[in-house]
Amino acid sequence: MTDLSFTEEQRDCLQELINVAMGLASDKLARFLNTFVHLQVPAIGLVNAAEIPTQFRGQYQGLSSSMISLGFFGDGGLRGESILLYQLDNAGKIAALLGYDDDATSEAEMLTDISSILTTTFLNGLAEQLDNSFSYAAPRVISSRDNDFIGKLEQTAFHWQLALKVDIRYELTDYSFDCNMILLIPGEAVMKLKTILDNVLAEF
Amino acid sequence: MNIDWLSGPLLQQLNSGVILLNTQLQIVYINPYICRRADIQLQNVQGKDLFSVFIDAPQAWLSRKLNSVLSLQSPAFSSWEQRQYLFKLPHLRPVSSANQYMAQNCNMLPLTEPDTGERFVCLLIEDATDAYVYQSQLQQSNLQLQQVNRLDGLTGVLNRNYWQQQLEVEVQRAERYQHPLSLLFFDLDKFKRLNDEYGHQAGDLVLIEVAKLIGSLLRETDLFGRYGGEEFAIILPDTPLDGAIEVARRICRRVADSPIEYQLQLLKTSVSVGVSQFSAASSAEDLIQQADLALYQAKRNGRNQVVTYYPELANSLKKVNS
Repeated sequence: MTDLSFTEEQRDCLQELINVAMGLASDKLARFLNTFVHLQVPAIGLVNAAEIPTQFRGQYQGLSSSMISLGFFGDGGLRGESILLYQLDNAGKIAALLGYDDDATSEAEMLTDISSILTTTFLNGLAEQLDNSFSYAAPRVISSRDNDFIGKLEQTAFHWQLALKVDIRYELTDYSFDCNMILLIPGEAVMKLKTILDNVLAEF
Repeated sequence: MNIDWLSGPLLQQLNSGVILLNTQLQIVYINPYICRRADIQLQNVQGKDLFSVFIDAPQAWLSRKLNSVLSLQSPAFSSWEQRQYLFKLPHLRPVSSANQYMAQNCNMLPLTEPDTGERFVCLLIEDATDAYVYQSQLQQSNLQLQQVNRLDGLTGVLNRNYWQQQLEVEVQRAERYQHPLSLLFFDLDKFKRLNDEYGHQAGDLVLIEVAKLIGSLLRETDLFGRYGGEEFAIILPDTPLDGAIEVARRICRRVADSPIEYQLQLLKTSVSVGVSQFSAASSAEDLIQQADLALYQAKRNGRNQVVTYYPELANSLKKVNS
């Protein structure tokens, strides 16, 4: 059986690349939103995708939350699905900042817009760090305002082997915004990612 | 092999729309797919503001999206599921549909000219009309199925299953908001004899006509269902007992006064009605049982009348059972 687990060096390397990618993303978001954006050094966790639903059950249970998926493809077999989870209360704040309060945009559209902005700015930065570039599928609202949040997350996570859990906290000048990003990556892409990380490590 | 020649013919023949804009959102290029459908010519629109050419496009929202693409250098998307179309374009789908415009999926991509470093945003537009139409049909069918699933096939009033679900909902509502709630149970008098004398078709006709007549006497919010055979039930939300009794009497009178014509004969019908009222301690089952007991008493009293539930009725039942 192939070993999908990361060595300590590989994990540290990935954390470092993600930190840089977050830095790039917060810089871009700050320019775009015209406000100070601080992204905390994200906590990352590599877990078996099957364990993901259990991990989020407590955090989002009973809350009005939303789950949006965005597929990404890179060169060299790197691919996966990013899931952005957040509470709908938080979405309202970001929507106001993006200027959504002035016209009749549907909630689903607003949520996908917010998610794709947050996700693609980060993933573009990560791709840059990996000397790669990503193309994206259109975002999909998997769940919003419904009770079967965990059930849907289970169905989604089922197709994937490895989940890279990235807890993100966006702090803006006037308020902070918490969300969770999960990068779900299939087994063969995990192997590619490990090779890429080894190459990055070899260069230092 | 040099493939520089490829992009020209591809853009010409591509079965998707391509619109290239500069950072001022002015049109740099539009491929024939869009030009033909929008009936415009590239040389006439080049350099013009996107929203002066496509005047119906959602300007506030779309320019915000396009600016985010330019500023973040990240792609953005628009799906027909959330916004049916960005640009009013005709579609060539053989499917018949009420919507005359092409449903669209749109990718908005940041592009950079490699030599000059100049930035652009490219809109890739795909026709999603088929998906849109199938989805609409599916939703329509689901809605119809849901309707069918809730109604009684013969009379068109609510079926027992759905009616009972609604009763639970109304009982909970009455409990929470301390609103009055009443229930009517009624039964066609001597329905079996009518069936025996005139046949089942006459019986069915009477059920249909009586249901129609009573439906016309009710408010929009009243929930009228067929409980079984010739037995019907009505939930009267926000209605205290005296109001319910009045409705019951009106039903009784109108049915008795409205003989039904069947094969040139007038069939006289009447109903017996039992009334019960929700009170803090009662459940949906209690309400049903009490209305049913009152109905039974109305039958015993000689039919074609209204009886309101009173506790002694329950005792009389106990006596009968013991």
